[in-house]
Amino acid sequence: MGALLHEIDPREFDAPGFQRDPFPLYRRLRDHHPIYRDRFHNRWIISRYDDVHAAFQDNDHFDRALYRPDGAYQFGSSHVFGPNILEYGNSDRHRWLRNVVAGQFVGQGLLSFIPIIEKIAGELLEACTDQGQVELVSRFSNQFPIRVISNMLGLPRHDENRFVGWYQALIAGLGFGGEHLARGMAARNEMWAYLEPFIAERLAHPGDDLLSKLCVAELDGVRMTLDEVQGFIALLLAAGGDTTDKAIANMWFHMLYTRPDQFEDVKADPSLWDNVFAEMMRYDPVVHIQTRYTTGEVELHDRVLPERAMVLLYLGAGNRDERVFADPDTFDIHRDDLHMGRENRSGRYKTNKPGHLGFGVGQHFCMGYAMARQEAVIACQRMMDVMKNPRPTHAVHEGITSPSIDSGGFRSPRELWISFDR
Amino acid sequence: MKISIDLERCAMAGECVYNHPTLFGFGDDDHPVVFVADPTSPAQQLGARQAAQVCPSGAIAVEE
Repeated sequence: MGALLHEIDPREFDAPGFQRDPFPLYRRLRDHHPIYRDRFHNRWIISRYDDVHAAFQDNDHFDRALYRPDGAYQFGSSHVFGPNILEYGNSDRHRWLRNVVAGQFVGQGLLSFIPIIEKIAGELLEACTDQGQVELVSRFSNQFPIRVISNMLGLPRHDENRFVGWYQALIAGLGFGGEHLARGMAARNEMWAYLEPFIAERLAHPGDDLLSKLCVAELDGVRMTLDEVQGFIALLLAAGGDTTDKAIANMWFHMLYTRPDQFEDVKADPSLWDNVFAEMMRYDPVVHIQTRYTTGEVELHDRVLPERAMVLLYLGAGNRDERVFADPDTFDIHRDDLHMGRENRSGRYKTNKPGHLGFGVGQHFCMGYAMARQEAVIACQRMMDVMKNPRPTHAVHEGITSPSIDSGGFRSPRELWISFDR
Repeated sequence: MKISIDLERCAMAGECVYNHPTLFGFGDDDHPVVFVADPTSPAQQLGARQAAQVCPSGAIAVEE
């Protein structure tokens, strides 16, 4: 009887209810199927915090890319992005490409960019807060990170609007497929054509911007090819734009609807937006899964995963693991069992508190983690400066949803109306 | 060249370990350790400089 009750029908993963509220199924996975074999979709699912954390760090058994005997590999985003860094698995090439850009997003590279982040936030807010109410997703969060990236690349500011348009088409294609995908590919091609003369120019006269760095970086004397640079930029728009975009909307959603009581604390002390960010990344992060492929047999919880098996690391489920976090289904910006400070790639902290899994851990840890937090927190704090007494325009909200959790669909509210005094 | 890590400043981010696994590793106490404190090959020296550059807490020092 008990066994039947906890049996999982793999079609549940495709049901609309799962996209809206995956957490009950996450709990059943953690409690009864910590290593779940989904024969219907031909994949395995790992859902407990400790197991997800360990798999992220186990490069010997789990690879980001699937290598075939003939050396080719397949990866879910190359049809949209073209050749890109995510495809190179655990290779030296991946490490090299990552190093070319990683320095831009942390430490001194990031500090030097804060004035521009502040400036762009200010400009956008000025344009969208003249009415006493604003739809945050389309008027602000959708545009903010992409304008920042365009600036980092060193592209002309008057082309930013075109970038925003390409970006929106590209992410709609990734998220919804079908006709959206066709439009996304068309946008990508347009963007690539647009970039070509800039790339040629940077190759001839490299400057300090990110595009120049991408163009002239060398591994063993070899530079990235034109389509690799273009693919990298397409990836940067989605990975660095879409995620931060949705993080900002999620942070506001939780303050307006999930914990209006704690929103009062944040209004009194805007530095708490950092805690909102960390707890959002635990409670319901933008990305809920990461895919890996086994490079050999792996033994876990008395199960044996075969070689070259597709494994979904359910970090969204690990983040709600009651074995690690007390009262995991409560959004609490004051919780003392979560590391609230800056995330670490190693997943280890001096405080000895566990960190959220929202950025992954280890080899493929989100490269833009520090940038994302900085952008999101600055954006939220500037909004508080401009919007007095912010409150939800509508009493009821449909909540956070996603097109498809299992294919990496990003979770966020579709719309978020905020009313305020000026 | 001499590489050193200020463990007081170190935030255990692990960037040095992931990016330059031949130079750095995690010790038993989870803090990074330097495998090659006085690298001589140009590749390792370049790696040491890069590690110092991207360390998020500025805990790595390289004496030329």
